[in-house]
Amino acid sequence: MRPAAILALASFASVAAFAQAPAAVPAKSLTPDQLTAPAGGSRNPAVARQRDDTPHGPTPRLPDGHVDLSGVWSGGGPVGDLAQGLAPGETIPLLPAAKAIMDRRQSKDDPEANCLPTGIPRIAPYPWRIVQTPTHIFFLFEGNIHSYRQIFMDGRKHPADPDPTWYGHSIGSWDGDTLVIDTVGFNDKFWFDFRGHPHTEQLHTIERYTRKDLGALENKVTIIDPGDYSKPFTLTFTARLRPQEELMEYICQENQQDSQHMKGSAGLPQNP
Amino acid sequence: MKAAFAFLIAGLGLLAPTGAQAHHSFAAEYDAKKPVTLKGTVTKVEWTNPHARFYIDVKDENGNVTNWNLELASPNVLTRNGWTRHSLNVGDQVVVEGAQAKDGSQMANARSVVLADGRKVFAGSAYDAVPTQ
Repeated sequence: MRPAAILALASFASVAAFAQAPAAVPAKSLTPDQLTAPAGGSRNPAVARQRDDTPHGPTPRLPDGHVDLSGVWSGGGPVGDLAQGLAPGETIPLLPAAKAIMDRRQSKDDPEANCLPTGIPRIAPYPWRIVQTPTHIFFLFEGNIHSYRQIFMDGRKHPADPDPTWYGHSIGSWDGDTLVIDTVGFNDKFWFDFRGHPHTEQLHTIERYTRKDLGALENKVTIIDPGDYSKPFTLTFTARLRPQEELMEYICQENQQDSQHMKGSAGLPQNP
Repeated sequence: MKAAFAFLIAGLGLLAPTGAQAHHSFAAEYDAKKPVTLKGTVTKVEWTNPHARFYIDVKDENGNVTNWNLELASPNVLTRNGWTRHSLNVGDQVVVEGAQAKDGSQMANARSVVLADGRKVFAGSAYDAVPTQ
């Protein structure tokens, strides 16, 4: 069997098991992070195969002519490792002090493992919905945590001295068919990924969302944080439309027993 | 093999995997080098986030009973893969294969759950139940 087919079988393991299909599925050949790495930004062929049910068609538009970004999406940001979004050959320009922070971090302290928000651009491995209105765009997150981002589309500016928050202060504008979201006012609490890539309150993100077709929403996000990174860098991820999905309730705090059992450094490679 | 592959593809339309996994690093909590096989009776099922859990009483050769805490994917992931909160019930006899918690507690990630009649429950439905190396 060709390697691609083996990978595809592994990614369909859940279906195979449910359907009482032959049990010889090489599920162990993939790690969870490989299975869930954001498509587009991942160089893992298994991820692309996993997304084969993504619908295709022309990019939808609203009556006012703007691209319609609404729908239920999955992916579109880093999960296990920020570097998943780098172009081939690029590296993350981590400053030495930031590397020292990363080296000290323990997985049990990952805010997301403790049911706190992902921040930006990290995405949780759960579906999320875009709700688009003329004045606001909302990102509604099913999982981890059951929260939302609001992006102001009414032309306002950032506050002069915003209180530091998990999702910051986001203002959006259209650059042709691309939604540009500029966000400042972050706290320094969230991690960019399982590996513990840090940031400071100087973090400034510029996300450029382009709906390439019906089923693919590209997010090119530039990370600007002179506190922890020597220069701005840009990551690319692609969210995939989940037209059959609805968001479900997900209250992470209800029965969180994980962080107290986690051991070890966060900075270890997620895909050894 | 081609036939099996086609069968799997056909199943995809009915139960599209969501690709969802845990909110934490699997490798940080569970040790793929500590595989466990547990046979016991379900004492409790928690259909709760961030993970569905069930607990089983396992009797050793001396008759001592230990209660194990077994982690599944989230109810959301399990539901999207066709399982329900009624798929596993208190009193069910099960054989569970999984990876034990790194801290050595009586806790494991359940990768495979087989009922006494041979039916697989939740098996393979949790991507986060795939051990990492």
